[in-house]
Amino acid sequence: MKKELRLTVNGQPYELYVKPKTLLVEALRDHLGLTGTKRGCNSSSCGACTVILNGLAVKSCSILALQADGGEVLTVEGLASGAELHPLQEAFLDHGAFQCGFCTAGMLMSAKALLDENPKPTKEQIKEGIDGNICRCTGYNSIIRAVAAVVNGEYKEKK
Amino acid sequence: MIRDFEYFSPKTLKEALTLLDKYQDECKVIAGGQSLLILMRQRLVMPEYLIDIKGISELNYIKSDAKEGLRIGALTTHRAIEKSPAMKNGFSVLAEMEHRLASIQTRNWGTIGGNICHADPTGDPAPVLIALNATLSTASLKGKRNMALEDFCLDYFETALEPGELLTEIQVPAVPPHTGTAYAKFNIIESDMATVGVAVSITLGSGDGMCKDIRIVLGACASTPMRAKQAEEVLRGRKITDNLFKEAGQIASQEAEPISDISASEEYRRELVKVLVARVGKEALARANQA
Amino acid sequence: MLIEGKFTLQAPIQEVWDLLFEIDTLAACIPGAEKIEPIDDRTYDAIVKQKVGPITVRFKFITTLTEIDPPRHVTAEGRGEDIGKAGTFTQKTSVDLTEISEDSVEISYSSNVSLVGRLATFGERIMRAKAKQVGEEITKNLQERLKSRIAS
Repeated sequence: MKKELRLTVNGQPYELYVKPKTLLVEALRDHLGLTGTKRGCNSSSCGACTVILNGLAVKSCSILALQADGGEVLTVEGLASGAELHPLQEAFLDHGAFQCGFCTAGMLMSAKALLDENPKPTKEQIKEGIDGNICRCTGYNSIIRAVAAVVNGEYKEKK
Repeated sequence: MIRDFEYFSPKTLKEALTLLDKYQDECKVIAGGQSLLILMRQRLVMPEYLIDIKGISELNYIKSDAKEGLRIGALTTHRAIEKSPAMKNGFSVLAEMEHRLASIQTRNWGTIGGNICHADPTGDPAPVLIALNATLSTASLKGKRNMALEDFCLDYFETALEPGELLTEIQVPAVPPHTGTAYAKFNIIESDMATVGVAVSITLGSGDGMCKDIRIVLGACASTPMRAKQAEEVLRGRKITDNLFKEAGQIASQEAEPISDISASEEYRRELVKVLVARVGKEALARANQA
Repeated sequence: MLIEGKFTLQAPIQEVWDLLFEIDTLAACIPGAEKIEPIDDRTYDAIVKQKVGPITVRFKFITTLTEIDPPRHVTAEGRGEDIGKAGTFTQKTSVDLTEISEDSVEISYSSNVSLVGRLATFGERIMRAKAKQVGEEITKNLQERLKSRIAS
């Protein structure tokens, strides 16, 4: 029996009817068409599905959608303001911080959550901030450099 | 793909206990779901009724008292414990342990109560809490129970929780003077579960390095977290020396009952116990000297 | 995974051998055994239920005795699957009886179990540890049976 789910996603309120077994990642991708968030492993190991729920970075494949009822979700689609990319997105582009791109949405959200909590992390803290996200392509250094560049103030938030 | 289930999300403890009493063995409780959903996605666990207790705010708290120690609600997230200002001095080992538990995303949503009740023998919290002499409370419609955490973990993924019962609170008594506690785990990948975990708590008698009390708890070495009691006897009541730490490590390594699996062989795990007991013991001693 | 062990019994080798082939006894010694039925004189059909924490499995499997060398050696091979489709397994087990004296036998066993499927991927650690425990329980039960049989 489906249940009502009220979610604000990237600032937009939604009302959905979902089966209780629906995972948050499924609600976002399949019900709302927000396919930026990826399902990488189906074993809660890779972090590609990371979104920010009520200010906390979480693995959306490991949360029942109904547990997010009444909450606020930020996905990768919510980072840019119209045509203006978020500083993290700019930095990722400039530093080649992605190759296949599959981990990227999750990396960006973990990085955003990190900077929201601590705007001036050290390199070690940046590494810790993304240690729940696996990347098969880049070797992580370009990702760390990109985040460090944002921390350094090389990219100003335009809002 | 998860199998369909009927879903309840009680907002109070009373509501939850009433549901549990009604459904008994047929239901499963979900808190953060960071362990349970892995099993449910693989259809290894397929409850007909799921009781989601994550929304029970009355079980989400950290209370600290100089005399009583800590009282942690079962639904407190790992991240909240990691960041709590109450985890200082003798309790800083809890924050350190939480900092290395899984990953930030898991810690943000998973709860300490869920972790304890899942009773994975490789879990990090239980060995540390047992080294700190933790107790816990459970509740059901029939009443409350209290017991030592050591007695709560019974077997692989099995606890003393009875049908209809919920874990409500974990109590960590105030740390006695001159006590230091430390934890270390060995794993191949940072943020992975422990291949072997060791927690040691040492209480010194006043003056001259006598070990008044010691607790050595091994994780991932048996079907539950285990006290290496024979190893403890090497040090308890004696003046501590490096050699004694070495001996304790040796004995703990023989006492342990690890298995061989994809992460490590039994022999390697025993070797890890030997090294970590000595290493963590020395760290605990250093902290006891500063306390 | 390899599960091996050995234990000694105070009994003549022939009595121990005969006991191992009593189906009802075997069924009683295997924890969770719901049924063991002979299909022919070398093949058995069995269902065993096991629970580890929140996971319950019911394995349905067929075992064939491929080598029988009374009263010293038997090899059993088989395959089975979880009725809930969580995994399948194959096994090869050899049991050796060595006469230590007229009234004393050493039984050594070696079982190679290969588990495939979701149970193996997600439950590997759990199953492996549990398998060791179950193996120990079976030998303990067998020992008790043999002791009380020999005593009477």
